[in-house]
Amino acid sequence: MTARPPALFSRRASIGFLAVCAVLAVLPVALDLSAYVHNQLTFLFITIAGALAWNWMGGFVGQVSFGHAAMFGLGAFVAGRLMLSFHLPPPLCWLGGAVVAGVLALGAHPLLRLRGPYFSIATIGVGEAARVVFTYWEKFTGGSSGLSLPIDGDLKYQLYWWALVLAAAVAAASVAIRRSSLGLKLLAIKADVDAAADVGISATFYQDLIFVLSGAVVALSGGLYASFLSFIEPADMFGFDRSISFVLTAVIGGVGTALGPVLGAVVFVIVKTYLLASHPDLHLGLYGLLLIGVILFEPLGLTGLFRRVMRGIRRAPGTAGQVKS
Amino acid sequence: MDRLLDMALSAVLLAGLYATMAYGLGLIYGVLRVVNLAHGGVIMGGAYLGWYLHDRLGIDPYLSIPIVLVASFIVGVVMYQGLVRRLPRGPSGGPASLLLLFGVWLVLRNIAYLVFTGDDRTIRTAYSSSSVEIASSHVSVNRLVVLGLAVVIAVTLHLLLRRTQTGRAIRAVAQNADSCTLVGIDVNRIYTLTFGIGSALAGVAGVLLATLFSFSPNSGSSELLKSFVVVVLGGLGSVFGVAVAALIVATAEVFAILVLPAYLTTAVGFILLVLVLVLRPGGLFGTRVLS
Repeated sequence: MTARPPALFSRRASIGFLAVCAVLAVLPVALDLSAYVHNQLTFLFITIAGALAWNWMGGFVGQVSFGHAAMFGLGAFVAGRLMLSFHLPPPLCWLGGAVVAGVLALGAHPLLRLRGPYFSIATIGVGEAARVVFTYWEKFTGGSSGLSLPIDGDLKYQLYWWALVLAAAVAAASVAIRRSSLGLKLLAIKADVDAAADVGISATFYQDLIFVLSGAVVALSGGLYASFLSFIEPADMFGFDRSISFVLTAVIGGVGTALGPVLGAVVFVIVKTYLLASHPDLHLGLYGLLLIGVILFEPLGLTGLFRRVMRGIRRAPGTAGQVKS
Repeated sequence: MDRLLDMALSAVLLAGLYATMAYGLGLIYGVLRVVNLAHGGVIMGGAYLGWYLHDRLGIDPYLSIPIVLVASFIVGVVMYQGLVRRLPRGPSGGPASLLLLFGVWLVLRNIAYLVFTGDDRTIRTAYSSSSVEIASSHVSVNRLVVLGLAVVIAVTLHLLLRRTQTGRAIRAVAQNADSCTLVGIDVNRIYTLTFGIGSALAGVAGVLLATLFSFSPNSGSSELLKSFVVVVLGGLGSVFGVAVAALIVATAEVFAILVLPAYLTTAVGFILLVLVLVLRPGGLFGTRVLS
């Protein structure tokens, strides 16, 4: 008798997931959403994809990156350049950005030997260096005056579905990675590199693999975002704030959990739209306080909170008041 | 030839500042095994405090150092007691401490924005533009004073760690915290003290920085990077190892102007970081920072 690994997706989960995607897919047509809500949801999907992809590196492998804006900006500018100079169809341009970012991520191989704080601080360096280089590389990025992409109303409307497909695919991939043997290997690497090496798991190979995948997906989301904004400038795309936003969405939602970053992205977009529109000068501090709060009180973020509440509800009958695990 | 001499001289003068920046980061990492990502934020905070004391109250930046020292020591103690102490120890605490202290850094930046706005500031004193002649090149008085203070700080720190009971306790905790509890060292007190001293050093480095360069709430990331490079190169073994590493980093940065276009010199700190991490992760003297 051979042991069979559990299915990657349970039947119930798959049906639920497809149902959510289907509802979101028909939502703009069925409810005749306003352009504002339509765009807001598009932005949410792009954010979800980026947050989930960051989480592969920061959560699954446990290598916290403060420099993913480099990938995001690269995806945006390569896609923008391809559109402006070669007039390729947008989806090809986005893919082009992802491929370039993926290849460059492979170039970061020496950095991936680093672990923990070494890696994190190196990524701060990579992010800052990318911002400086691309701001001064005027031929490619237009320098501080940025690039204006061809404005296409239809594309901006269709972007909703492109972004939805991307977010759904990345979410499915997150669950698949988490539940496959790859996910277990990543968990082993996260827990103890040396022990993982002892049982034949090459940390370098899997880290490279995840870093390339994560970078390519973040670049893809950057490409979509470039089409979404139709005006991009290096200081914003490669900015430190952008790197922070990946960290933040994942940490708020639940770093290392398969789908937590989705929750984080929802909160992030809501906070950004409603709270920060009125107090833009408070956003860094608010993000900082959120990070501190999550790490101190609920390291798994909203997912942890959700699990705790669920446990409380399950135990509630008869044992209310003593839900201490 | 003269130009090279000038450059060598300015590298030496810059090294003092870099060493001062690095001590705090290295001390905290050596004892607590926590990389203080808020380090750059504390440096920035020290710079603003020095600027405020000079601009509003007319206190000379170099005379304000004791005030900054005390203030940033308190910040460090609060950071440790209020936040870092609550983290799990060991490998699982690694990413958590990074994210936590990163959050502190963001909060510090935001406070600076709110209080001082985002404008660039510099501390300008009556003697800011005066210089003296050394070996036929002009050297700013400010830079000389900064180097002098850096030497004083290095010697004080060395004596503190080597000659005092507290310093011995700190070094003992760095070696083996568990054994320290057996011989009656209050480890938690030493951790608090170390975080306070590390933070105080960062604050002082901020004041020294502010007398030489302009700064804004966004300052701190390149300071953090450079401090980190210096710590990795110099190791945690001695105060003088750090000083030598600071000299190397400063020299590399000053001489980079010869081979790199001007706008890329801001990226030198990063390039150095990668080179050091990839080529000599064990540091120059073999005292590995990270096992």
